[in-house]
Amino acid sequence: MSRSLMLAVMAVFAFPGLAAAQAPAAQTGGWVGPFAVIAAGIGMALAAGLCGLGQGRAVAAAVDAMARQPAAAARIQTAMIIGLALIESLAIYVLVVAMILLFVQPIKG
Amino acid sequence: MEAIEHAPIFRLPGIPDHVTYTWVVMIILAGVAFVASRRMELVPRGAQNFLEVVLEQFQALIDDVIGPEGRPYLPFIATLGLFILTGNLLSLIPGVAGPTANLNTTAACAVIVFISYHAIGIHKQGPGNYFKHFMGPVPALAPLMFPIEVISHFARPLSLSLRLFGNMTGGHILLAIIFFLMGLDGLIGWALSGSAAGAIVGGVGGVIMVIFTVGFLYPLKILVSVLQAFIFVMLTMLYIAGAIEHADHGEHAEHHSGHH
Repeated sequence: MSRSLMLAVMAVFAFPGLAAAQAPAAQTGGWVGPFAVIAAGIGMALAAGLCGLGQGRAVAAAVDAMARQPAAAARIQTAMIIGLALIESLAIYVLVVAMILLFVQPIKG
Repeated sequence: MEAIEHAPIFRLPGIPDHVTYTWVVMIILAGVAFVASRRMELVPRGAQNFLEVVLEQFQALIDDVIGPEGRPYLPFIATLGLFILTGNLLSLIPGVAGPTANLNTTAACAVIVFISYHAIGIHKQGPGNYFKHFMGPVPALAPLMFPIEVISHFARPLSLSLRLFGNMTGGHILLAIIFFLMGLDGLIGWALSGSAAGAIVGGVGGVIMVIFTVGFLYPLKILVSVLQAFIFVMLTMLYIAGAIEHADHGEHAEHHSGHH
């Protein structure tokens, strides 16, 4: 079980390199590009998941506070939206890095 | 980005698209403002009434966040907010490029905010007093606090510009991929190709994706557009409030610096 899993993971990671090694170098332009795609996907997945966790905690605390004190709901909501924007900007940084990896491709190899 | 996103329909030769559509936003805003203020009345009607309501919202927000001393900055903040909101909403029209989905436009806005709030702070409390707040409350810790404060101040325009750009561009890439999957190269094309499997799978899938796009993605994009304009304006007001507030309350204004 675990051996086949490891083989599968190795195959996933080795495949772009193998595919690039078998293809002519002039067509693919090296092995950095396929790994950049994988890095963009994994990075965006990690960032989106952890950003969701953080935003969930923030919204849970804000809704809790609003339910306890409905009179202060407007101010809590404003603070919550600002906090959510600041948490979300961390995931947006990863999105920008992923877009740079995918579209700008600063590292050729 | 050119791999999946189409160029806008209307282009001026030799001029980048975001500059063209920045001019479009300027023309729209100036036109609305001109129509609203052409014949001003004491009891507003029509466009004048609409713009007065919008500006009163901005003023209420400024009173809430900065206080009454923030009233002189209403033109700056409202112009920034209306420009970003119009740019965000303009990019939802198919065949039109949004100016705020380009890093150059958002970075320009963020640099304007950065220079403005420092200028406001220096103007309000003098250069020596203003930069003394960079040193922190304890003099012994000043060599440690000063680089941290400088870095955090320089991180503000970076995060402002990247947040707006990333939100807008991410939404556009999502819409571009959905349209690409849905269009004549994708499910709808498969449904029209004549094969039985294409008619069943592609037809049902195409209808589901059209409903998903119109019913969920477009309202989500409108919400994100309004929210990002609000957040940009809100953070601008918080920065201006932080630059002003030190003069009034001295040491007690530290709770605002924990926001970034």
